[in-house]
Amino acid sequence: MNARLEMRSGVTVSRGGHGPLLEYVGVTMSYGGLLAVKDVSFAVERGEILCIIGPNGAGKTTLLRMTSGLLRPSGGQIWFEGLRIDAMPAYRIAALGSTQVFQDIQLFANMTVLDNVMAGAHVWTDGGLLGTALRLGPAVDEERRIRRAAVDQLALLGLSGVLEEYPSELSWGEQKLVGLARALLCRPTLLLLDEPYGGLDTADIERLSTTLRTLKSEGMTILMVEHLTDIVMDVADRVVVLHYGEKLAEGAPDTIREDERVIATYLGE
Amino acid sequence: MSVISTTKSRVASAYRLLRVPRPALVLLAVVAVLPLVGNPYVLSVLINIGLYAIVAMGLVLLTGLAGQVSLGQGVFYGTGAYASALLCLRLGLSPWLAMPIAAAASGLLAVPIGRAILRLRGIIVAGVTLTVNMVFYYLTISVSDLTGGATGLVQIPRLPYPKVLPYTTFVFYVTWLLLIVALILSCNIAASRVGRALKAVNLLGGGSEDTAQVLGMDVMHYKVLAFVVAAVFAGVAGSTYAHYTSVIEPHTFNVQTSVLVSIMVIVGGVTSPWGAIVGAALIVGLTEFLREVAPIILGGPTGAYELVAYGVVLVISLLFLPAGLCSLPARIEQWRKERRI
Repeated sequence: MNARLEMRSGVTVSRGGHGPLLEYVGVTMSYGGLLAVKDVSFAVERGEILCIIGPNGAGKTTLLRMTSGLLRPSGGQIWFEGLRIDAMPAYRIAALGSTQVFQDIQLFANMTVLDNVMAGAHVWTDGGLLGTALRLGPAVDEERRIRRAAVDQLALLGLSGVLEEYPSELSWGEQKLVGLARALLCRPTLLLLDEPYGGLDTADIERLSTTLRTLKSEGMTILMVEHLTDIVMDVADRVVVLHYGEKLAEGAPDTIREDERVIATYLGE
Repeated sequence: MSVISTTKSRVASAYRLLRVPRPALVLLAVVAVLPLVGNPYVLSVLINIGLYAIVAMGLVLLTGLAGQVSLGQGVFYGTGAYASALLCLRLGLSPWLAMPIAAAASGLLAVPIGRAILRLRGIIVAGVTLTVNMVFYYLTISVSDLTGGATGLVQIPRLPYPKVLPYTTFVFYVTWLLLIVALILSCNIAASRVGRALKAVNLLGGGSEDTAQVLGMDVMHYKVLAFVVAAVFAGVAGSTYAHYTSVIEPHTFNVQTSVLVSIMVIVGGVTSPWGAIVGAALIVGLTEFLREVAPIILGGPTGAYELVAYGVVLVISLLFLPAGLCSLPARIEQWRKERRI
């Protein structure tokens, strides 16, 4: 497994794939003189939902962006699938089996919902310029497979009625689900979610929680940044609390809820 | 009966496989009969339209699909022309062999230029490509041993052609067949995995580089790919031009040509390969019209009127049809719907 991953990523550093799926070792990120993340270490086990919470400016989103490869840490190491990824380009990390849904979703405004979701299949397909331009047999077959997978994924999330709509024509909740559908079509082993519940109404919150639990039951690992602590405590297996870039606490939701430092700095009485 | 149905099904599956857009078939039919009704002058105008449209179609892929604004297509148009001419004049190659090599040379030249320039963003890319075009222009003048300097290259061999057709008619068929092939390839690319990746990196059209990357797309690879394809299209057009006119000079491939192609794409519609054909037809048609009419009505040379006319067309297009003439049917349909409401 790891030999294949190494070949695809072009990275030679590997320490086997039997440990945690994702591990941060002393990760630091500074913007000039400002330390956004300071010496953070923790691991994400396979098949769990881990939530990172903390006040604004705690470094949650920065940590997520470093995990996807969109930011390069100033120090420390990030390991994914037994490979060191902190200096790897984002598209290669995606090829290892990780993808992210951003807080503002970032659907492609110039594509329909169906095309947006089909774009998610890019990572596990390989149709090149020549094959697609000449519509050679394998490229045509692959395009059919992608379309079928995208239609099925959208149907699973109850979005069959908006295939040909553009993102601007959708509600915020629908856009969130399309973003999730696109990420799921990447078939990731690690799903990174940045404030997935933000702006959703009660029904959509319940719908999303059910979807995340289903994904977990299917073996997917989810690392999520979220502000809504009630939902976090309900959905997460474990919680990591960041405060001014440092890890304040880590543990099961019940433990975190009773941690005095977390109560004092973030949860309140 | 079964033989007929089998044949029909084979034709249908071949059609589906090639995914030839129906309007392209109509265009093919029109192209087939045009020489029967058009005189040599009309055909020469249509050849000009076809050549510009091929260059513009590359720009549609680069700008409309991938969101990279280039004002340097003249470089690759010129590279195709000079490479083809030199391969024939110096090495004695057949024009049919020289044409694909020249197109490949344009594409190869685009790789280092694209990798260097496309790290930049937005309007800066346009400025740098324009500068590269100026450098190319001065190089073609100054490296006179190779390029013939300001006077260019002459006596470039014609394409070998069947003598039953006049040469202009033959070149018309070659040009428009190449254009239709470029159109089909462009439509196929736009509707594919590669097309989605190009749209994903298009910041002008609503794409997102961050999202593209976390979906596994190598942003720089796809930007350079679009740049190279646009260069190959321009190289094909340049090579055809060289063998059509038998004379090439630096002036043909200067910055004005690149800007003119950009105007064609904007006026025709930057997001549709059809926009390239419509834009080229409008601008070349307008140029020819002014060339005939302006001296009679206004007197004097036509050059100044042409620039004014291009400017007026561009401003009108941006004000009333920012998505280009190709968006006109959709706009009319929308207007009708609004009237019904």
